[in-house]
Amino acid sequence: MPDILISDPTLRDGNHAVQHQLNAHQIAAYCMAADRAGIPVVEVGHGNGLGASSMQVGESAIDDATMLRAAREHLVSSKLAVHVIPGFATIKRDLALAIDLGVDVFRIGCHCTEADITQRHISHCRQMGKEVYGVLMMSHMASPSLLRDEALKMQSYGAEAVVIMDSAGTYLPDQVTERISELVDRLGVPIGFHAHNNLGMAIANSLAAVKAGAQIVDGTARGFGAGAGNAQLEVLVAVLHRLGIDTGIDLYGVLDAADLAEREIIPKLPTINSVSVVSGLAGVFSGFSTHVSRISTEYQVDPRDLFFELGRRGVVAGQEDVIIEVAIQLQRSKR
Amino acid sequence: MTRPPKLSVAILGSGNIGTDLLIKCLRSPLLRPTLFVGRNLNSAGMAKANGLGVRISDRSIQAFIDEPDICDLVFDATSAQDHQVHAPILRALGKVVIDMTPAKIGTICVPAVNLEEASKADNINMVTCGGQASIPIAHMIGKFSSDLDYIEVVSSIASRSAGPATRLNLDEYIATTERAIMSFSGCRRAKAILILNPATPCIDMQTTVFANIVDPDLPALRKRAEEVVASIQRYVPGYELLVPPQYEHGRLVITIKTRGLGDYLPSYAGNLDIINCAAIAAAESVARISLLKEATHLA
Amino acid sequence: MRLPSQNESITSDLNCAIEPHLSALAPLRNSELLVTGGTGFVGSWVAEAVAYLNDHHSFETRLTLQSPRASQFARRHPHLGRRPEFQLQDIDVRNLLELPRQAAWVIHAAASPDARQHASDPTRIIETIVSGTSALLKAAVRSSDIRRILNVSSGLVYGAQPLQLERVPETYFGSLDPSSFTAAYAESKRLAETLCASYGSQYRLPISTARMFAFVGPYQMLDRPWAVNNFVRDAIQGSNLRIHGDGLTVRSYMYPADMATWLLVMLVRGQDGSAYNVGHPDGVTLLSLAEKIAGMRPKEIRIQTDVLREARSIRSRFVPDVAKAGRELGLSARFDLDTSIRRMMDWATSEAC
Repeated sequence: MPDILISDPTLRDGNHAVQHQLNAHQIAAYCMAADRAGIPVVEVGHGNGLGASSMQVGESAIDDATMLRAAREHLVSSKLAVHVIPGFATIKRDLALAIDLGVDVFRIGCHCTEADITQRHISHCRQMGKEVYGVLMMSHMASPSLLRDEALKMQSYGAEAVVIMDSAGTYLPDQVTERISELVDRLGVPIGFHAHNNLGMAIANSLAAVKAGAQIVDGTARGFGAGAGNAQLEVLVAVLHRLGIDTGIDLYGVLDAADLAEREIIPKLPTINSVSVVSGLAGVFSGFSTHVSRISTEYQVDPRDLFFELGRRGVVAGQEDVIIEVAIQLQRSKR
Repeated sequence: MTRPPKLSVAILGSGNIGTDLLIKCLRSPLLRPTLFVGRNLNSAGMAKANGLGVRISDRSIQAFIDEPDICDLVFDATSAQDHQVHAPILRALGKVVIDMTPAKIGTICVPAVNLEEASKADNINMVTCGGQASIPIAHMIGKFSSDLDYIEVVSSIASRSAGPATRLNLDEYIATTERAIMSFSGCRRAKAILILNPATPCIDMQTTVFANIVDPDLPALRKRAEEVVASIQRYVPGYELLVPPQYEHGRLVITIKTRGLGDYLPSYAGNLDIINCAAIAAAESVARISLLKEATHLA
Repeated sequence: MRLPSQNESITSDLNCAIEPHLSALAPLRNSELLVTGGTGFVGSWVAEAVAYLNDHHSFETRLTLQSPRASQFARRHPHLGRRPEFQLQDIDVRNLLELPRQAAWVIHAAASPDARQHASDPTRIIETIVSGTSALLKAAVRSSDIRRILNVSSGLVYGAQPLQLERVPETYFGSLDPSSFTAAYAESKRLAETLCASYGSQYRLPISTARMFAFVGPYQMLDRPWAVNNFVRDAIQGSNLRIHGDGLTVRSYMYPADMATWLLVMLVRGQDGSAYNVGHPDGVTLLSLAEKIAGMRPKEIRIQTDVLREARSIRSRFVPDVAKAGRELGLSARFDLDTSIRRMMDWATSEAC
């Protein structure tokens, strides 16, 4: 039994970085390596989760079933997890399929202030005997006390852990400490943290979370993920091991998995480029980044202006259609 | 001075939707609300109706059994579960019913597309808010493409405009909207997505329609989109074209925005207003048909 | 038309629970009982108990069950719904204007205990409990034949039970934090008790209160988010039983035939203005509960405590002191946990729910 549970969404968050084009061969190869390394939970799917392949947020190269089958076949000791956002994924169409295909862990997520839309999805997965976490996305958009209330709702629906995401990579360590402490203090289930690296804080923030009592931490190989990427898995494991915190993960194994990821699935290593700094400052969902760079070129506007305006509007994950509207507006005001 | 003839209507369900409908009925030149029905005389909706001088009853569906001649048309603004019970009773009483719930018993009505035809039905269903906003656009796209593969509609609504029932029933919203999109546009696959946004001040309802069309005739689509929007504005004044047809990244993109009238509901609740405005349009069409029949009969 | 009959094990369990109290319950004979929230877990068992008394002891008690969807319940449970002396009425207690003309007894049990609903729609549960209780009491004031109202409250009115307090007595009051929506149910139940006390004082209405703890047996729905319901459901499906924390959280579970008996005795014999705990006095840790349940299945079922070593142990305790009910009303719990669980499993597998 490890001290900290590492959950690895390389094959889910990383899909944002390649516009959801991961193929079955890549999924199989990485799953094999992750399983060998003893990574306890491996998350697979479209960047926005089950049933999210769409024109709005990007269409997957292969469908959910193909992704999950490829992963299931190669995960023996690691658990297979999926990300699920109600409003995209439905119980009948998507959850039923994932349950059928043998998914172990369901991470039911929503914008951080809307926990009650997860009630039926969480209840359903629990009823099917599955492990269920609640996930509060874009958590910087709620105060610590509001975040606590939303987490309490998820707990009452049957969530067995609640993970908060810094989806925009905007937190500094003190902010993470404040929020995680509040949750650890008030909830009866383990608390988790999911970092993004827009301001270079992913590892520091993950560590702050662990020190404040978080028991689940997300990390991806080479930080492969939306925008500036996530907490780099192999670094996270090394840092925790150095602190004497056991993750149950084999160091060489995770380093090998990361090397394989760099070779086989990551076309361009994540970096903190100028636009991702702005995106982090503006507090905009990291998954917007490929859309913003494409649309800003097409409509000839500064992607930094675009990000700041999106941040000012308070857009949430799933509102990618607003990017075009804002780009047209910026283009008009330029003239 | 003779009063112009009006169709007498009743509203079943004294919640926010029912009360907003009542205010819209009172403004209509063709509708006369004769009864406002709920279960609890103490509810805010009942007090409002009473204050507006409309007769109220707390006897629920029994009110119509007791007094079958009270109206010609009933708006059912209760719940899908209750409408299953009400529908056969109201049918037996010979009432035209406009169903505001997602019970899906009757004929789907989207006034900009099939008003004439739908208002001949005895049970008229108003689909969903996202359906009312997007179906006219999807239908228009369908007319431009003989072989339409895929349409997607994404609606973002203010978090505060989504009550507990909406939140609990996102899956039903998605399934109902997708089915209606396919049947009205003729596309083979459809996807509906609903996003709740908690920003303050509250956002207006925004709906984007995507389609995978190769080489669309943008100028023609833009002209037609403006006409379609104008036809919807006749019954939903807060409906506007926010992003005219664009072709970006291999997809046709059109965004519209719906602001509510702010009658009984707040004006950011465009999602609730559009479905109520559509229901009033349907009821007025029923009124026109029946008043015309009466007039011919008298002549 | 022949009436479908009561499930045999329910009949024999009620026989065992009620038998010692038959003479105490005599005032129910040939009188009328109203149950608000009559189609929930509590109401269903009160109905089963009254059916038993009428069938086997000729009580001739008339029963009205009210709830917003009572007619659906009648269709689902025809052995109760079709009884000529039972009336099912579709009434939301908030809209209650008057009691059935001859109602002498009232058990007020309207309010869902489902924590998921309390979280998603806390204002609704507040309204159901507070406005509902208020509507009921106003109607009762104008009713001529009321002999007693039993207000069904909850052990949650005590707030968190200290771990070192083995059993909560009726006189203990800890503290609730009123500033969170999570207090909606418990605070409403507290206000409902105060409403009852105030109507009792001001209008001399005869009211007693039952504070409910946890129950295991038929009519429990497996989708409810409580540990025992989850364990039974997972065990029936043959999956692992998962425990959060270290498994040392303590609960106690009463069998509902006992519960229904207690409620009827409290209704008839309770002191005006008095509150009584209703529940089983013997605590059990979630870990031994899970072991018990796993041991009852033919297939091997694993118990999984925390997946993490340093599990923060958020232990809690929820066990009533029921000495008062024993002392004043001669009540005791007659069914043990094993029997209760076995009955719940049999019922769940036969109802396929």
